[in-house]
Formats: sequence, C-alpha cells, structure tokens
Amino acid sequence: MRRPRLIRQLMATTLPVAMLVGSGTGIAVADPMLARNMSSYGMPGGIDTPTAEMLPDGTLGATLSWSDYARRGNVFFQALPRLTTVLRYARVDGINDYRDEGYISDRSLDLRLQVVDEQGWRPAVAVGLQDFLGTGVYSGEYIVATRNVTPAVRASVGLGWGVLAGKPRVIDVTDEGGTPNVDQWFSGGAKPFASVSWQVNDKLNLTAEYSHDRYFARYSDGNEYQQGDEPGSKFNFGASYRFGRNYEAGIYTIGGETIGAQFTIALNPRDAAFPSGLESAPAPVRPRPAPAQDPEGWSGSWAQDPTAQPAIQTALADAMADDGVRLEAMALGATQAEVRIRNRRYVSQAEAIGRTARLMTRALPPSVETFVITSTSDGVPTSSVTLRRSDVERLENTEAGRIAAASSLTDAPARVPGLVQTDDIYPRFRWSIKPYLELGIFSAEDGLTHEVGAEARASYEIMPGLIATGALRQRAFGDIGQRGPGIPGERGEYYTPEEYEANPELETTPQGVPRVRSDTRMYTGNSSPVIPELTLAWYAKATPAIYTRVTVGLLERAYGGISTEALWKPANSQLAFGAEVNRVRKRDFDQLFDFRDYEVTTGHVSAYYEFTQGFTAQLDVGRYLAGDEGATVTLTREFANGWQVGAYATKTNLSAEEFGEGSFDKGITLSIPLGWATGQATRDRVSTELRSLSRDGGSRLDVTGRLYDRVRESHTVDLYEGWGRFWR
Amino acid sequence: MSGTKRMRGIALSLALAGLAACGNTGPDEGGSGPISVLAQTAAGTIASARATRTAAPARTPQQAAAEALRVNPGPLIQVGFEGLGRTQVLALAGQNGAMRTYMTPSEEAVILRNGMLVGTRGLGRDLSVAEPGTEGLIRAGQGGRATRVMRYLSGDGLERPLQFDCTTAPGPKPGVIIETCEGHGATFQNNFLVQNGQIPVSRQWAGPGLGYVTIQTLRP
Repeated sequence: MRRPRLIRQLMATTLPVAMLVGSGTGIAVADPMLARNMSSYGMPGGIDTPTAEMLPDGTLGATLSWSDYARRGNVFFQALPRLTTVLRYARVDGINDYRDEGYISDRSLDLRLQVVDEQGWRPAVAVGLQDFLGTGVYSGEYIVATRNVTPAVRASVGLGWGVLAGKPRVIDVTDEGGTPNVDQWFSGGAKPFASVSWQVNDKLNLTAEYSHDRYFARYSDGNEYQQGDEPGSKFNFGASYRFGRNYEAGIYTIGGETIGAQFTIALNPRDAAFPSGLESAPAPVRPRPAPAQDPEGWSGSWAQDPTAQPAIQTALADAMADDGVRLEAMALGATQAEVRIRNRRYVSQAEAIGRTARLMTRALPPSVETFVITSTSDGVPTSSVTLRRSDVERLENTEAGRIAAASSLTDAPARVPGLVQTDDIYPRFRWSIKPYLELGIFSAEDGLTHEVGAEARASYEIMPGLIATGALRQRAFGDIGQRGPGIPGERGEYYTPEEYEANPELETTPQGVPRVRSDTRMYTGNSSPVIPELTLAWYAKATPAIYTRVTVGLLERAYGGISTEALWKPANSQLAFGAEVNRVRKRDFDQLFDFRDYEVTTGHVSAYYEFTQGFTAQLDVGRYLAGDEGATVTLTREFANGWQVGAYATKTNLSAEEFGEGSFDKGITLSIPLGWATGQATRDRVSTELRSLSRDGGSRLDVTGRLYDRVRESHTVDLYEGWGRFWR
Repeated sequence: MSGTKRMRGIALSLALAGLAACGNTGPDEGGSGPISVLAQTAAGTIASARATRTAAPARTPQQAAAEALRVNPGPLIQVGFEGLGRTQVLALAGQNGAMRTYMTPSEEAVILRNGMLVGTRGLGRDLSVAEPGTEGLIRAGQGGRATRVMRYLSGDGLERPLQFDCTTAPGPKPGVIIETCEGHGATFQNNFLVQNGQIPVSRQWAGPGLGYVTIQTLRP
C-alpha cells in the first residue's frame, strides 16, 4: 500500500496555492520576506550590502552590474525557500595579475540562509557567506536582520566580516582556490552595515546604505590594489525600476563619486506563460453504448475476425499521431488491449498516456475493459500503466489524483504475446539540415565567443532499439578559433595549434596528467567539415527492470570507441543503480575518422535516488577520462513542468596541483523546457552547463543516450509529478 | 508605416530562418533547437496578428450564432471569454453522461455539466476541473452555503486546488440564481438562469487566468 501514499505526495494537491496565479490577483502568497530589489552582487539587498530577504522559491536569474570597480555577471537561484545561491563571474578592475591587463577575472560563489522570517516585532534574520570557495576578492560573511518599518519602508542592519567590514582577507597567490577556507569565516573583526529601502510605488524603489567595503585587495606576495577609486564616504545610494514581470534596471552611487548601473532578469518556474499549455484540447472520452445496442461488440466475438486488429490499429495510430504520440505496437484481445507508445510531444508522460487512454475509448470495441498503456523510450518499453476502461469513463475530467489512484504502474516486459508492430514504423529514416549557433558565454579569458555554420543530421531506426545517428558540420564563421592548451607556468599564453600537434609530449601536462579536456579548443575552428557524432546505438532490456545500452562509433567530439551501460530501475522504485564501462580513444583534431594515441577505459557505478519533493541525487564512483579515480555527487532540483537546476562536484585522486585552478571539478546545469516559455507543446528544451573550468581531472565521456533520464520519465516519481496533466 | 516595414523585416528574417532548415523531421521530432522553435513561435504570432488585422470586418456574435446554427445541425453554445476578449461558437464534440465537451473549430474546449462549467482546455490558462458544491442549490433555485473547489495546472506543472466558500441566493431577476464565492483574498460572482434544472444562460468565473465566461445555449 505504499504506492497510493506516494501518489498522494507527488500529486501534491495540498501544497500552498501560492504563485498559482501569479501576482496582482490578490491571492495570498506564503513565501518568506521577498526581495524588492537586487544588489550589485546579484542578491536581494541594498547596493553592496546584503539583507535578510529571499526570492520566490525556485527563482532563477541573472544580474549584470557595471561600475568603475567591477563588471559582475551574477547567476542566482533560490534553491530552497530559505536558501539563495549566487554564482558570479566578475571582472575586477584595478588589480593586475600575470596578464597585466589592469583587471582580473574572478569567479565566486555565495550562499545565504534565512534563519527566521519576519513575524510580529521580530525581523527576518539571515546569515551569508560571500565568495566562500577559497579566499577571493569578495570574501566576507554576515549576519543581517531585515524588517518592514512601514508597508513601503524596509530597514536592514547587519554585522559583516571580511570585505563587508572593510578588512579584505589576504589572498594566497599559490592557492588553486575552490575549497572553503572555513577557519577564516567570521574572523578578523566585524563591523556593522545597514540599508533602508523605500518602495515608492509598484515599480520604483529607492535605497540608501551604509557600507564599510573599501574595494581593496591584498595578496600574499605583498601586492595591494585599490579597485577603482577609494570610496569617499561610507554612504551609497541607488534607485531601481521594475518593468514587466521579469526585469529590473537600476543605477547607484558608491561613496558619492563612483556611479554604477545594473540590470536583472529573473525567471520563476511557477510563472509559466501558459501554465496549462496551448496545445489543442484532447478528444473526449466516448462512453460505450449499452450492451443491448451493440451485442456483438460486447460479446468479444469480433476478436475472432482477423481483419479487426489491423483496422483498429491503423485508425488508433492515425488518431494518436495527430496528438503527437506514436503507436509502436499493439496487442488486442477481446477484453484487454496493450498499446506501446512513444511520446514525441509532451513534457509530461502522463499527458501522452491520458490522451492515449481517451483515444482508446473511441477506437476499441466495448468488450475491451482493460487498457495497458506501455511507454517506450528508444524502442524499449519502460513501464505500463493499467487502467480500467470504466474508470476512464467514470473519472474523465475529475481531479487527476483519482485516476492515478485507480491505475496501476508496473514494469514492462520486453515482449508480450500477440504484440503486432504498427505498419510503416520501422525502419525509419530521418534527416535534416539546419543552421547551428555555438556560444561560449562564461569564459573569463575570452569573453563572449561564437561560431555559426550548418549541420546535417540523420538518424536511421533500423528496428526498435537499434539506431544509427550521424551529424556533419560545416563552420561558416565565428571567433571560436583553434588553439592549444595554456602553456604551463606561463599563464595567459597558449601553444599554437602547430606547436601542439608537432610535439606529442605536450599532450601530457608537466604533472603527468593526460590532456583529455584542456586541449578541447584544438577541436574547434576547423574550416573543413567535421563529424561531431557518428554512432550505432542498441537499446534493450534484459529483465523487466534492467535496461542496457551499447553505443559504438564516434561518440563525441573528442572520443570514439564503445560505450556500454546497464541500469536497474523498477518502475515503482525511487532508487536505481547503474553501471557504465567505456573503452575510448582520443579523436584527431580534424574530427574525421582518425584517432590519436591516447586510449583509456573509463567506467562508473552509479546510484540514483528521486526524492518526492522535487530533488534527485546521483552518486557516480569510478574512473574518469584521464585515468583518475574518484566520485561525482550531483543534486538536482526538478519541477513537474520540466525545469531542472542542478549542481555537481567531482573529486578524484588528482591532487589540487595536478588538477590546477579550482582544485576539483564542479559545475551547474540548467535546463528549461521551451514550452514553459512559449506555451507550445514540445519536448525541446534549452540547456546549459556552467562549469567552473575545463580541466582534465574528473572529466567524463560525453556520450548521448544515457539510460537513466530516458527511463525514469515514465516511472514513479517523474510520472506522478506530471500526472496533473493526465486530463489535459 | 515604418512599423509595418519593420514587422515585415522581422517576419522575413524569421521566414528565412525557417526556410534555411530542411529535412523530413516532423514538428515533434525534437532537435529543432531553441532558436528555430522561438522563430516559429514568433512567426506564428506575427502571422496571426496580421491575420486579425486583415480579416474581414468582424461579424457580430448574433451573426456568428445564426451562421453556426445554419451550418451545424448538432448542439451548439456561444461562449464569451471576457479575459480573452472574444466570443465564439462551440459545437458538441463528445458527451459522457451529463458532461458535454464543446469545441471551437481550432480545438479549444469548454466542458459543461448541464450548463455548469466543469473545465476548459487549450486556452493556456485553463480551468482543469471545477467541483461546485453549490450545484444542487443552484439547480433547485435555493439559497444556501457550500464549498466550491476549482483546480488548475500551476506554472510549475502541478494540479492545484483553490477552495472557495460560496453562498447562493435568488437574483433580482426571476429565475436567476447568484452564487457569490470568496477565498484566497479573491471574490467572484456567478450568475445562472435556471429553467427546469437546466442552465441555458450563465456567466461563470473560470479562474484567475481566464476571468469570466458567458455561456449561452444556442441549440441544446
């Protein structure tokens, strides 16, 4: 009886209604004290100082700020209702490093936790860590209290350490960064800061603050730098203006002399353009006629007629195709029908299943009482939802939880007796030629880079589960050029492509680490056609809960070989285990059919767990591309609408020195379904990964078709989270 | 008209972006990438904006109703979507017990149970399902109190309920029942013209996204 309880949890119909309808409708919202404007560090706050405010849960956005002190690009995410995180890329002016350009490029990460929310006389209180991975230019900590004084005026008072106290920490020039310096936190003497914000009207906000930040940096080699001009006073003033639902622009002065500007865009996953989607209404359920009116249909004698199934299957397949669902195969008996479907259109598998169930009521003779709707992925069945037809008739357009409770979810065997493949589905050849645009956004060294060209792509599904895929790219123009890796010891200098190719010894770093990713720019900038991918993949299942994949060929831009994977994932289990073994060889830089000398066996064992509150966790342990051994931890927050925001960290047996800047590999992944923004029903999404740096340690093979995400869409947590769309 | 020119320029460049891609993949086969999908969406928006602009002079709802009655022999309703600013004729697409699904030619649906609004589909901010505890009172033409639950798909993809406390009372006009509901800081009022337990004319609140809809039975 575990499943109905789980369904109830996942359907989550008892969650607060906050944000159901957006703002301005007078419907009460139960978030903690929410920000009215962003600081120049991309946090709710004054101008430079923090406050105890939060953002609406799940908010993802960016604040860009410019002043003579720095240009900062801040990506913020409200990871939990009380936890705000910021990843910052800053160009800090006035500091010279080896590049001698008068500025440095710096990455930093902040966390803020709201300890208590405002209640009665008590203010909201938050603690925060600024630039807490390693010692950086912005390192500081704070405790801050914020309270509404009047409905329009809000005041914050806090105690700051480090930069916030005007006592910047000494930056160790030999440190590779990336690890928290816990012993320095909340040390070195504290000073108070304060801010007041006045919400003049819906859009305009005025802020004044008292800040000790001196914009000063100290290094362990004795160098000291003043960023910009030393602030003439401790008072800063700012104004910000909100326009539309998602934008905010602001100007401010620091110390009376330096002027800055900033711009914020904030997206909230709960704030979809068209929450229920713009796709056409589903065909309604067709109830069965009374037995007296269709005695033959009710008797089941039609099942003896060999022409019955082909005619029904064709009609059903056509109707389903209009709804973006492919009928792959069907087993039709007098009382039970199983359909195997592939969802091509909907983010929620439940919507595909719901539409299929309704179409089945319209296509199948009355004696068929049991509907088994089996989802497939890459030709492999992943799970079966079994429904009673009378429940579909009885519960049409009721609360989605009721049909969930009346259904059952089971593992799907690879074969069932009587299964007939739909005509003209296999083999299936698909091709396209399209322009492509590649953007390099977050490279501190290069700024924004791009490449534009044409890509031809083809896939050939030979039989269910066996797919050949190929792509051919021709660059047209762009400024992502070919380049060797950085020259060790000469930061900011790179090998030329010719130098790098001429000397095979350079493909290993002086510390003895093979260059598996740090020479990735050698694969770019080809003016002749390249083959990013050319593979043959075979998906299958060994038992009803064990899935397998074998992929051979040119697996990714830099590696070719064979990749094998197995995954244990019962349909009703929140837990899954997987194993992957790859034998790959490094591809030549021309990205055609030649290989280089480096060859490696990599592999992982993985454990996956889906929590019911929208979090998934993944642990991978194994050997990485450079032959280093270690583990990756990934935590992802997911919404039923398909939003995913995740963070991962990889630590291997490479030392911080062998790894280089950043000490270990870490990054953030973002994925937003396009339908969330446009309202159109599509499975396309915009995805990006923010990696701290492209390094050799902790790198994995970038093979497409990994099993877990493909399989779990129709499994317990993911399926039921999206079940609200069953009757959509 | 520089605005029109610019619009044409945008449309042209979007069309080029669309034409530049070719192949035999269908719209659902993915991989089309964000740029082309956004281009298609934008192009569609422009095209529909233009279509509206160049359309023949709008017919009155009465003319539209008369024509629909002439062309379509089946049950028809006319619905004014106040939040969307349009009035449309919907034809019966299916009936399951007392629940009837009516659809527009572009497959947007309004679902009614003997005239009570149960749900909408395809409008972007749909009502998933209404559970009006007041239904019996309204049909009986009685005053009283009951709870009304309205369920919606929220932006994050979950179906969420809004619960309202409602009272029913006869309206100023004979045969009209007024249902007044309150909850979550919002209030709304539904008006029903009740005749023999049927509701030929009504104005009902569909939700915070859609606002009120007026429903008129053209042919039962």
